[in-house]
Amino acid sequence: MDWDVVLESFPLIWKGASKTLSLFAWSLAFGTLAGLAVALMKLSTTKSVSRFATLFSWLFRGIPLLILLFFAFFALPEVGWLLSPFWAAVLGLSLWTAAYQAEVIRSGIIAVDLGQTEASDALGMTRSHSMKRIILPQGIRIMLPPFTSNATTLLKQTSLATLVTVPEMTLLTQRIFSNNFKFIEPIFVLAMIYLAMTTVLVVGQQIAERAFRLKT
Amino acid sequence: MNSDVLVRVSGLHKSFGDSEVLKGIDFEVNRGEVVAIIGPSGSGKTTMLRCVNLLERPTAGRIEVDSRVLCEELPDGSMSFSKKAEIRAIREHVGMVFQRFNLFPHFTALENVIEAPMAVKGLSRSDAEARAHELLESVGLGHKADSYPLQLSGGQQQRVAIARALAMDPALMLFDEVTSSVDPELAGEILQVMKRLAQEGMTMLVVTHEMGFAAEVADRVLFIDHGLIVEEGSAKQVLANPKNARTRAFLRAVLERAPMAEEGDPAPEPAGSSAPGLSQIVEGSDDVEQ
Repeated sequence: MDWDVVLESFPLIWKGASKTLSLFAWSLAFGTLAGLAVALMKLSTTKSVSRFATLFSWLFRGIPLLILLFFAFFALPEVGWLLSPFWAAVLGLSLWTAAYQAEVIRSGIIAVDLGQTEASDALGMTRSHSMKRIILPQGIRIMLPPFTSNATTLLKQTSLATLVTVPEMTLLTQRIFSNNFKFIEPIFVLAMIYLAMTTVLVVGQQIAERAFRLKT
Repeated sequence: MNSDVLVRVSGLHKSFGDSEVLKGIDFEVNRGEVVAIIGPSGSGKTTMLRCVNLLERPTAGRIEVDSRVLCEELPDGSMSFSKKAEIRAIREHVGMVFQRFNLFPHFTALENVIEAPMAVKGLSRSDAEARAHELLESVGLGHKADSYPLQLSGGQQQRVAIARALAMDPALMLFDEVTSSVDPELAGEILQVMKRLAQEGMTMLVVTHEMGFAAEVADRVLFIDHGLIVEEGSAKQVLANPKNARTRAFLRAVLERAPMAEEGDPAPEPAGSSAPGLSQIVEGSDDVEQ
């Protein structure tokens, strides 16, 4: 074993890791916001709105993520929309995340007892107020486990951004072994860093679940 | 128009798919009146109550609360409902208490009570809290203000739910079988609160199986069966001296826990039809004619 290779390349790995994290953070933020919008649209009683949302989640859950990234990076410039590799990757990852989180958020909302909506209605609250104050806070408890599992998948899938030339952790690690012809150590370290990052998410889920647990 | 009439319902029909639950209901509730709605399970009484604040949308008919029209039939037979904002404005003045409480489980008792006054009526937090403390005190739960619903008994939860509805200063209170999901020994504490409300002059529409409460507190009783008001009158008349065979059969079933005859069965014989036991709950019922 030659861990020196890894130690020497530590600054490079660190740079890649921070790129990975910002890909993840932007995509999760955009993906969750868009996912919330799509979930609410899918629950809309206006047919055209709910159909659009259904189409959205069908489309972006049905196409491989890698193809979405290729589309954002290679195809969009051809129609005059040039994005940097980083933002092209964020776009693809966000659409993909939105489609999955929309289903998670929707299932959390519809799992909240209908009596909660009725009580809010009977008190004269607007639907947007009851969604914000009554329904979503209760739904979050139900959404947390699948939401976190989607987020974990997203974190790992950022590695695909390698293929649209984003200098994230996986790409930079490949650079180490193509320079040194040492594989085991860099790949091992790479795997461990991903594992550490996803562990933080899982721990975060447990803390959040405790915070949203109903007081009995 | 008689301004003493708070609720005016006419020609109310409601269908769920192919099944018609309400088949033409007409009734009025005067200001300050307590009206009990009784009837067998599945008769449509809860649906009828839920139509009054449009939690259910009628398929036909007209509903008016406090001189404001919630829905009516247009000349072409289609239904016209008030705008969302108008419906909300009416609901603001119509409190509802549910069979299964429907408290917000992530809020404390106090937060449950202040949410709507702050969000809907625009009360400041301090005003809303002051009022909420008063109301919780009045339902005997001043010491439970910071408890969460799941930390309370069914009877306590339901009293918080009543306080929550009262916090909107409603002109009308709707009660939907509010004692049906609590243990029998806890029903009394809920009925006590309702009785006091009635004495204070609150207009109340009460779907209930509590015949004792209906007899003691209600000014009027409506008996509903198969989606129609079959009998209507003073509590004394309907409960102690029912004219209708279905009413008699129902009251016998409730009071004696005897099985109730199905529709199509021969009507129970009128002999001894004023079910024994009624005289215990209806004051002065000894003058009932046979």
